[in-house]
Amino acid sequence: MTWQTTEILMFQVGPRVFAASVHDAVRIGSVRDVPAGALVVGSALGMPFDRERGIAVDDPDGAGLMLVVDAVLGIRSIPEEDVLPLPAFAAACMASGAVAGLVHVDGAPLLLVDLPTLVSERPGATPTQRAA
Amino acid sequence: MPDGLELGKKRKPARKAAPRKANGAGSDRIVAVLRAFSVGQYGDRLDLDDFPDPGLREVAKAVNATADHVEAEIREARQRIDVVSAGVDEAIEAMVRLVIQGDLSGTLRLGVADAALTPLIAGVGQVMETLKKFVTEIREAALQLSTSSAEVLAAATQNESSTSAQASAIHETTATMEELKGASHQIAENAQMVAGIAEQTLSGARQGEGAIKAFMSSMEKVRHNAVEVDDAIAKLSKRVERIGTVVEVIDEIADRSDLLALNAALEGAKAGEAGRGFSIVAAEMRRLAENVMESTKEIKNLITEIREATHAAKEASDGNKRMAAEGEKLGGNAMTSVSGILSGIQETSDAARVIHLATQQQRTATEQVVQSMSEIEEVTRHAQSGSKQATGAAAELTKLAERLADLVKRFKLD
Repeated sequence: MTWQTTEILMFQVGPRVFAASVHDAVRIGSVRDVPAGALVVGSALGMPFDRERGIAVDDPDGAGLMLVVDAVLGIRSIPEEDVLPLPAFAAACMASGAVAGLVHVDGAPLLLVDLPTLVSERPGATPTQRAA
Repeated sequence: MPDGLELGKKRKPARKAAPRKANGAGSDRIVAVLRAFSVGQYGDRLDLDDFPDPGLREVAKAVNATADHVEAEIREARQRIDVVSAGVDEAIEAMVRLVIQGDLSGTLRLGVADAALTPLIAGVGQVMETLKKFVTEIREAALQLSTSSAEVLAAATQNESSTSAQASAIHETTATMEELKGASHQIAENAQMVAGIAEQTLSGARQGEGAIKAFMSSMEKVRHNAVEVDDAIAKLSKRVERIGTVVEVIDEIADRSDLLALNAALEGAKAGEAGRGFSIVAAEMRRLAENVMESTKEIKNLITEIREATHAAKEASDGNKRMAAEGEKLGGNAMTSVSGILSGIQETSDAARVIHLATQQQRTATEQVVQSMSEIEEVTRHAQSGSKQATGAAAELTKLAERLADLVKRFKLD
């Protein structure tokens, strides 16, 4: 029997832990190595506390944006059945379209974040970027 | 006058003799009469008839005349003697009477007058004058004696009073000196006690001085140690900073390693099944990096604690230095104070010793004064007794003077 798995990247912004697809992340880096204009500090996930770790995101514009997070907790391989779509009611209630679903990690549900969508919703982004 | 004189007694004429023989008998008769004259018998007379011879008759007449004359003279002398004796008796009686009555105002008047009494009268008058003079002088002397004895009595009385007051004052003075002697003794003991306490205090103050010196030495050591501790803390701080720098480097390396491991894991995950082994190695590398970062975090925490402890130690060391400096300053002040106290105590001790000696001398002098006062009191007591006796004698003398004056008053001078 072969188990289909999904590789997710777990990171922390503020007090909460989120998950994202490894394919949405270009690399993990330090915010010190990135120009301030390319950093996405505040997002729908909230404001990070102090760790200036960044996730370089493969955004649609190819601007090389980096989402500032407090910590990158690691890469986890989880069964696909643990990846669940976001309920329609929840998706309707949420203002951001960056939440792609839920993922169960060690019995706890985490929001599965669509990183390119998240960085495109940053303040100052063009409507085109947001629509994309 | 000789008792053998016989006056006025006529004797019978001598016997007649024979003529021839009558001349011889007449001569014998004359001789016998003259011999009787020679023994004071003038009573015999010669019978002129018995002397026929004229010559003898004249001789016989002359003998008889002589006898008559002598008898007359004797008779006259006896009469004068009687007059003079009566005058003398009268004079003596008058003098006795005058002396008994004390009347010296008049003069002696005798009932008989005889020139022979004139010297007697003159002598009696002179005696009376002398007596008057004596009485006058005695009266004046008695008066003066009375006055003087009264003055002596007053003086003796006053002297007795003064002597009594003096004796009382001396007694009080003696009692006061006794009290003063006791007070001097007490002062001497107190001064000795003060001297002893001052000695003890001096010893204690010297010990305190030694303790302050030891304290100041300790403070200096504390300050010196604090400086050494400060230097050690500074060195430790530099070491800690160096360690912090190294740890920062290590942390940076670990962080970079963590990033590399994360990216390796990310790439391994993106590679799918082909990158699984790579992901496992990356995960292990990341675990190591996280361990290192955890360790560096602990080290940083320790460094932070060390910094805080070092800072606290630095502050404590600075506090120790300040306290040591303050202690040295206070010790110096205390030393100055103790030096002043030592000087004061030394002066107090010396003064107490001098007071002790002075009070001892005073006590000795007071005892001598008490002894002298006792002797003076004894002498004064004798003087008081003598003064009483003198007062008694003066009173007696006054009485005697009054009596003498009364006696002298009996003599009337004018």
